[in-house]
Amino acid sequence: MPEMRFRSLLIFSALFRVFLILYGEWQDAHMEVRYTDVDYFVFSDAATLMAGGKSPYDRLTYRYSPLIAFLLIPNSFLHRSWGKFLFSASDLLVGLLIHRILKLRGVPEKLCTYSTMLWLFNPFTFTIGTRGNCEPIVCSMILWILICLMNDHILQAAFWYGLVVHLRIYPIIYALPIIILLDPLYFQPGKKPTLVNWSSSTSKSSWETSYTKITGLQYICNFFSSLITWRRVMFGFVSGSTFLMLTGLCFHLYGWEFLNGALLYHLTRTDPRHNFSIYFYHIYLHYEDEFSIVEKLVSFLPQFIVQLVLISRFALDLPFCLFLQTLAFVAFNKVITAQYFVWFLCLLPLIFPWSNMKLKWKGVACISVWIGAQTHWLMWGYLLEFRGKNVFLQLWLASLLFLAANTFVIINVIRSHVYCPLFRPLQSNSSKSVKDD
Amino acid sequence: MEVLLFKVQIYYSTLRIALIFLLSIGYSAHASSNTGYVDNYIAKSYFNRYDSLVDQEFDYFVANEIPLGLFKVLKDKYHVLPTLSGLHRNVAGEGSHRHLSSSIRFKLPHELKPELIAHSCEVIIIERLPSGVFADPFELQHLVQRDVFTDVAVFGDKNLELPSFRSNRTVVEIHMSIASKMFSSHEDDLVVNLGVPLHARYPALGLGFSRVQFRQPDLFMCCNIEENRSCVSMAIVDSEASSDVWEIPCGIKEHARIVSVVTFAFAVITALLLVSASATYSI
Repeated sequence: MPEMRFRSLLIFSALFRVFLILYGEWQDAHMEVRYTDVDYFVFSDAATLMAGGKSPYDRLTYRYSPLIAFLLIPNSFLHRSWGKFLFSASDLLVGLLIHRILKLRGVPEKLCTYSTMLWLFNPFTFTIGTRGNCEPIVCSMILWILICLMNDHILQAAFWYGLVVHLRIYPIIYALPIIILLDPLYFQPGKKPTLVNWSSSTSKSSWETSYTKITGLQYICNFFSSLITWRRVMFGFVSGSTFLMLTGLCFHLYGWEFLNGALLYHLTRTDPRHNFSIYFYHIYLHYEDEFSIVEKLVSFLPQFIVQLVLISRFALDLPFCLFLQTLAFVAFNKVITAQYFVWFLCLLPLIFPWSNMKLKWKGVACISVWIGAQTHWLMWGYLLEFRGKNVFLQLWLASLLFLAANTFVIINVIRSHVYCPLFRPLQSNSSKSVKDD
Repeated sequence: MEVLLFKVQIYYSTLRIALIFLLSIGYSAHASSNTGYVDNYIAKSYFNRYDSLVDQEFDYFVANEIPLGLFKVLKDKYHVLPTLSGLHRNVAGEGSHRHLSSSIRFKLPHELKPELIAHSCEVIIIERLPSGVFADPFELQHLVQRDVFTDVAVFGDKNLELPSFRSNRTVVEIHMSIASKMFSSHEDDLVVNLGVPLHARYPALGLGFSRVQFRQPDLFMCCNIEENRSCVSMAIVDSEASSDVWEIPCGIKEHARIVSVVTFAFAVITALLLVSASATYSI
């Protein structure tokens, strides 16, 4: 019965997305404001160029790996909506993978279904794929990597990780927590690591007494003494070589256009045009002067420190760590566009079952504050872009408010989270676990 | 160990197959021939010679390097010429995305009309956009697909993202076939209405707004005469007063210091709050 309920949920979500794609085609043809994302036309044009034997980078503003354009080549001979169907299918796959991860971690069926609905029925996420944005593909890869790690398929995880970093770069922030997770404390030869069950995390005392508690300092000492392990080395080697091979192949095919457009642009991007980031106005006001190395480092420092602290505290509860890291990464980034929100929204259902946050009223407060700050920013953005008013200062203040809202949400999520490491450390006799004094 | 090596082999075989497939797509990129444009764009010839738009150079180019023989052909053969009788310009809309609307009225003698259609004559409008605005080539192509224009091309700086002080000027060349416009004409008049969607670049810093003023377009009529392309330049003598000035909001230089200080301070404070929340969380 529970399986049938989840299957019905998926079928309904699929039908709804098909309807949205068809509606999108109608709106594009009949209304001035198009439903389809501008980026979709960029992908499509790049794919058409690629199908014709040309470089996808001949299409202005195509700033992705050629692999994305490659996936959309059927747009030119099958139907122009092929890409939307592909992205929406990935969107559904994300729902499926979320459900699978939660089942693996022993979450009860009802809670599993509600958590998955956070993704499948989120208006932000179902419009993203149907409007032709490629982020669901990246999200599905991240979740698949999690499943591979949970099932001890390290090489597969490493391959997909190398691929996803080639596609989108931002998942590089997950490298350190994954490496930390691959601690020999959790692995026995010939056996899969044991996942900590959801039900055991509800009573903290049982989790404390059933295995030894490791202090922070001991953990760090243990980490460095067992840093070089077979799993860590293989993960690093396979993911690194996958990334280098794909990047090398694309460079061989498309040269510096590829490197500049798909990689270096994202690493050095300082866009003065208005966006959610607090840095946009500062960048615009100083765009005529070159930014010094010191300035670049100083703006990177808050981001870097937050990432390090989150990793050091939460790496072992990997889904939670990834969620916090992604949300913080987006919030402190030099450029924030709405599509980046999908990067952490796909991880939200994975932490939901471990959150003590009640909808009334903390949950409602977090949602209202986050959406409210966004709407407030969008209002000033509309006045600037579509009414031509000089509201740069107000828009910048709205972006500060948005960062404050993100901070509020992150702090509340941390406070109401029940810490639950992904893996259970092995018992002392057959492992290298460090005992408490 | 052997299982592990076997797995590695499987993964790399899969990768190799994918690479071969991709390479076959990619190598066709090098083998393909360049189809290129049919070279009947006036502005393209200019940009083949010069790197960026300079008004005096373009004026010289128009006067001396375009085949303006159509004037003589029409005068010798028909003793009449099409003339421009009115031009009305307007920058319509609000905000950063507007339309440059032009209404151009030609006086076209009756006897010329069938000849102009037979020789695939076109009205060519060249908009030399001021620094500070740009046209999206893809948006314009979409208009061609919807038969709003016969053809359109964008030359010069096609970057859609850089601010005006880091960009060069753009030229938009619009072709409107006379045959397609004949239905809207009455008597000897031909009216061509067009709207070019334009977008504002981020202007240089200032006191609040940056003023962008549009110059008159360069108008031509070009026909295919005996396998050659021949044009006549239509001089604009009587244009109605129009509101073709665009005010674009710009960043205010005086804000620079306070914005930088507050931005970085805010980033540091929020980072510290997050660090504190993480540090005080009891696992």
